[in-house]
Amino acid sequence: MPLIVDPEQNEVKALADVMLWRRKSVLEIGCGSGRLSRRIAALGAIVHAIDPDPKLVRKARSGLPKRFANRINFRAGKAEKLHHRNEKFDVVIFAWSL
Amino acid sequence: MVDALRESHRVLKSDGLLIDLRPVAVQRRVGLTDDGAYRLRWRMPESFDDDRAADAAVAHVVRDGLFKPAGRERFQCYRLFDYLDDFIAWLIERDKIKTHGWLVRKLERELTKAETGAKIVVRSPLVLSVLKKLAGPAAG
Repeated sequence: MPLIVDPEQNEVKALADVMLWRRKSVLEIGCGSGRLSRRIAALGAIVHAIDPDPKLVRKARSGLPKRFANRINFRAGKAEKLHHRNEKFDVVIFAWSL
Repeated sequence: MVDALRESHRVLKSDGLLIDLRPVAVQRRVGLTDDGAYRLRWRMPESFDDDRAADAAVAHVVRDGLFKPAGRERFQCYRLFDYLDDFIAWLIERDKIKTHGWLVRKLERELTKAETGAKIVVRSPLVLSVLKKLAGPAAG
């Protein structure tokens, strides 16, 4: 779909104002096709991104630029039952998913 | 939603942050742009039941002592669609095509009068809320 979301990058500016993201371990819940995941990774974070829809997860993986390959991990998963150990992440983001 | 927030609390480090990023519960504005200026003419009628439920869930875990509010920022977010079909696909994805047929017809009419290359623009303010993890009631 030819679509540009947030051409002014206001979303990234707001996220950058929250903290220094470099090397932070981030869980993104509701990643969809991975648009925000890439933006967070570009700020320097290591992103574990989940979405309940396996089709969207496959789309996110297939559209992932190589430069983010070591910085973003997409998985199918639900927010109510996370498969992650206790106290693993610096940040959890609900992106349009709460 | 409360279960999801509790799970988030479990996987966050002791000084971790929870960020809730979502549209503000106001009607989106829709219009056209062909010269960099956004001419927003119509409002999208929407239900905000999900937003109220999300607000209630956040209030619940704050009341339970799992998180405390640590910041909030509101900003504008635009979506630009190259073609009417893209906008229609977006409405279909959100199950809004039946209730927004009038908007598609208005955009179709306006696009025939607009400059070549005009895009459809949707403005939706977003709010980014930051919550800081607390130890929770079990830890006293």
